[in-house]
Amino acid sequence: MAVERFVLMNPGPSQPRPANQHLRRNPPIAGEQEAIQKAQSGDSRAFETLYAMHKRRVYSLCLRMLGNVAEAEDLTQEAFLQLYRKIGTFRGDSAFSTWLHRLAVNVVLMHLRRKGLPQVSLEETLEPAQDDGPRKDIGARDLTLSGSIDRVTLERAIENLPPGYRLVFVLHDVEGYEHNEIAEMLDCSIGNSKSQLHKARMKLRDLLRTGQRKEQIA
Amino acid sequence: MTVLRAMAMDKIMTCAEFQETLPELFEAQADLGAQEHLKTCENCAALVRDLEYIASQARLLLPIHDPSPAVWDHIQKAIRDGDQPGASSPSQGRK
Repeated sequence: MAVERFVLMNPGPSQPRPANQHLRRNPPIAGEQEAIQKAQSGDSRAFETLYAMHKRRVYSLCLRMLGNVAEAEDLTQEAFLQLYRKIGTFRGDSAFSTWLHRLAVNVVLMHLRRKGLPQVSLEETLEPAQDDGPRKDIGARDLTLSGSIDRVTLERAIENLPPGYRLVFVLHDVEGYEHNEIAEMLDCSIGNSKSQLHKARMKLRDLLRTGQRKEQIA
Repeated sequence: MTVLRAMAMDKIMTCAEFQETLPELFEAQADLGAQEHLKTCENCAALVRDLEYIASQARLLLPIHDPSPAVWDHIQKAIRDGDQPGASSPSQGRK
């Protein structure tokens, strides 16, 4: 297994983005802009509103990355405390949810580092060791997956992805972020995000097919 | 390799070459059914079906349930105990 080092990013002032690049599944939330402005002025009710709007998605990200309810709740708490401290630096140039997710991703990566995961650059984090990666699928003619995966099985397979693959897969395929947004969150190139997503899907297919074979044997 | 180049080469693609172009084909939302390689390669056709299926199933995974109410209680307590907007001190963990 490759030595891994997680590089942390500061969700500083958000970067400008083209006006039409809205999230596929992250449309603006009614009342969010007003709540942000009030929270930036220290309005605790407005901060609670922002928490109510975004708690589920931040918690989902943490839970999918950690696979542990207690840790996910701790990191959700930490992410929102960071939000409380840093909300004054949000300028509104990018979607608030993207900015908040970058902050949450940073908290998750810091936690993984504290847990003692070996250290590498984020690029390496996003590029698991060869043994962990997906194989090209040449000449393997057996069962296909279509129509056969339930939610629990897929969630379990996602849990077994290497962290870098898991993060890009969750952000893109589950959360609906675009590659340019993921690249901004993870401080990596758009090409790297695309490449890792494909490898993550290939690895998931490997994991799911392996699970099916084991079920058939059993 | 660009998608256009890949598609131009499609008739002479090996499985490895086709699979190398797959990330771009997916990202470009290309009509994969029109790919010559898939018309003759059952293995790559199955791969494409599986990858499309995985992506479609992933979209159905949200949402997970909410965090417990205790999380907000702990956030409020940490804020009351000293966190201020813009402050850079470490958080008060919920331990």
